[in-house]
Formats: sequence, structure tokens, C-alpha cells
Amino acid sequence: MTKTTGEDHMPGDPSPRELLERIIRVDQAGEYGAVRIYQGQRAVLGRRASCAETLRHMEEQERQHLDCFTRLVAERRVRPTLMQPLWHVMGFALGAGTALLGERAAMACTVAVEEVIDEHYARQAEQLGDDEPELKQTVEEYRAHEVAHRDAALAHGAERAPGYPLLVSAIKTGSRLAIWLSERL
Amino acid sequence: MSETHAMRDLRDRLILAALPHVPFDGWSRRVLREAAKSLDFDETMGERAFPGGAVAAIEHLGELADRRMAEAAAAADLASMRLTERVAWLTRRRIEAWADHREAVRRAVTLLSLPTNGAAAMRTTWRTVDAIWFAAGDASADFGYYTKRAGLVAVYTATLLYWLEDESDGFADSWAFMRRRLDEVSSLPKMREAVRQRVGSLPNPLRFLAEKMPARRHFGVSRR
Repeated sequence: MTKTTGEDHMPGDPSPRELLERIIRVDQAGEYGAVRIYQGQRAVLGRRASCAETLRHMEEQERQHLDCFTRLVAERRVRPTLMQPLWHVMGFALGAGTALLGERAAMACTVAVEEVIDEHYARQAEQLGDDEPELKQTVEEYRAHEVAHRDAALAHGAERAPGYPLLVSAIKTGSRLAIWLSERL
Repeated sequence: MSETHAMRDLRDRLILAALPHVPFDGWSRRVLREAAKSLDFDETMGERAFPGGAVAAIEHLGELADRRMAEAAAAADLASMRLTERVAWLTRRRIEAWADHREAVRRAVTLLSLPTNGAAAMRTTWRTVDAIWFAAGDASADFGYYTKRAGLVAVYTATLLYWLEDESDGFADSWAFMRRRLDEVSSLPKMREAVRQRVGSLPNPLRFLAEKMPARRHFGVSRR
């Protein structure tokens, strides 16, 4: 049985085309934000922190994801998010802010963000139909990367960060709000 | 799919049949009825194809013009031009193609400039500049997407208004006017880049801040 993207949309739901646009738009915005978070963390922690190599690797991967979605935005003629200048500043501020709280807080930030993205990509993979096999494949692949980032952050002692539950839930709420806005605006 | 294309073709034909009537009757439901009659349709076809009336018909004219511009761009050798040249060529092509119906275009601009039609005017102008940038091969996926389009909205609308009153040979004055406006708009990113470079040469304040934070030793950041 084949399923096409957005075939089961109800009145008031986004149309299949709009759903696809939202998916590409929010993913591009999200990867952009992720790159900015890692840039912010690396700007504070520099090259000598014990997690510097991990951070460099994560940023590298996020950058590849971003390049892919940036290409898709142009190819599929999707309007990029209007919120981009805000994510430019907020992403960096989140990364730098948590890094200033310490290396473990920076790792806790990674855990929170990547967990939200994991859920988000899982939902998208479910929404995408068999008419978008490539995009679905990409989303699944990147989701695996993000989960690996989370595990790496946990291995670096994220849970021992000061105020871990509070920090994580605050960052998660912020990330979900950012996703909601980037899909629409 | 083919059904929507059939509807689009019907609307295209109605619009093209309506254009010669517009200088006399203005953009109105009556013009749409006249257009339907001249195509040997039932006269209600005009209103059935455009339930939104004259404004919807004008929006469709804009869409038709954008489509024709994109087709012309695909046939022309745009790849050999510089980006600004491509935008200039496309903008000129978009406007010039309707020289035979300048009066109808003027009437359309007049109707769309009424405050109640503001949303339609914005929609159709935005779609046009988007079509120009897309045909020019723009692939920006950042905020530049919006600044480029906003800049072109200013150039395109100003040039269109100038062209409506232009009596020069081959509209030479209009294209010179457009060129000056494009130069003005394209000087903005250069200014921004100059500022960015100056700001970029400042030292990173965050690294300094981290250095001064007494807490950093507790959380395992090694001292340089």
C-alpha cells in the first residue's frame, strides 16, 4: 500500500505542498540553529576543552545537514524562514550561554536540543509518504546522527551539569517553540 | 493535474480576449462577459472562471505574465549574463511584453492600488519578483531571500509606473530609469559587507569572558 505525503489532510490542515514546504523550511532553519549553537559553544570553550573534538565533529555534521537542506530550499522553491536572523543570534547565544555555565551544561544543552530534534524528525518521517523517498531517507539518516550526538553528550557527563532537569526542560520548550515558528513563518 | 491545467488555459484565453476591451470598459465583470462572448462561450463563463471578479482576473494576468517571462527566460541565454544583468533582462522582459496593452495594464495598476485591493496587489507583486529571482537562478536560503525580493519590489513597481507614462523610443528612458534603481539597490549589500568586515576584525569577547569566569575550573574546562 503506498501513501503520498499529506494525502490524509483534513480541512484546515496544510495542503500536501504546504506540508512539504513546512518540512523543508523548518529543517533548514533547525540545522542552521544547530550550527549556530555549536559555533557559540566552541567560541567559548575553544580548542582545549576535553569535548572540543566532539564539538568539532558535531558542528561538521550539522553543517552537512544544513548544506543539504539549503540545497533543497532552492531546488524545491521553498520560502526560507523569516526567523533566520533571530535564530542566528539566539542559537549562538544559547550555545555560548550554556558553555559559559560550564562544559557539562553545554553538553546538557546538546542533549535537550537533540532529543527534541529526534522527536521532530521521527514525526516528519511518519508524515512523508512514498512519493518522497529521498527526503524521507535523508530525514531518517540525520535523525540517526542527532541521536548519536545526544549519546555523545551523555557520555561527556551532561547529566552531572548543575540544574540539569531545569536546564533541559527550559531548552526543550524553547526548541519546540522555535520549531513551531519556523514551520509557519 | 490536467484538469487544473485546462482551467488555467481557459482563464488565459479569457484574459487575452478581455485585454482589448479593458481600455473602454475598465476591469469589470462586464469585460469578462464580453471576453466570454467573443470566444463564443456562454457569457456567464467570465464570472464562473473568475468568481473573485476583476481583481481575480488581474491576479491571473500577473500569473500569466510571470509564466510567459519564465518561458522566455528558459529560451534565452541567461547563463552567460551576470546576475544583475539577468534581473534587468527579466524585469524588462516582464514589463515590455505587454506594451500592446499598456492602457489595460495602467487600469489594472489603478484598480490594484485601491486600499481594499492591497492584499491582492502585494500578492501579485511578490509573486512577480519571486518569479524574476527564481528565473535569474537565485538560490538564497537565508534572510537575503527577503531583502532581495523586497529590493526588487521597489525597483519593479517604480519602473512599471515610469513605463506607463514613458513616451520615449522603445521605452529607452524606462530602461535607463530601471538601471539607475537597480544600481541603487545593489549598492546596499556592498555597504553591509564593508560594515561586517570591520566588525569581524574585532576580538571575540566571549573567549575573554570565559577566561574571567571563576566557575570554569569547577566544570572541567582546562586552563590555557
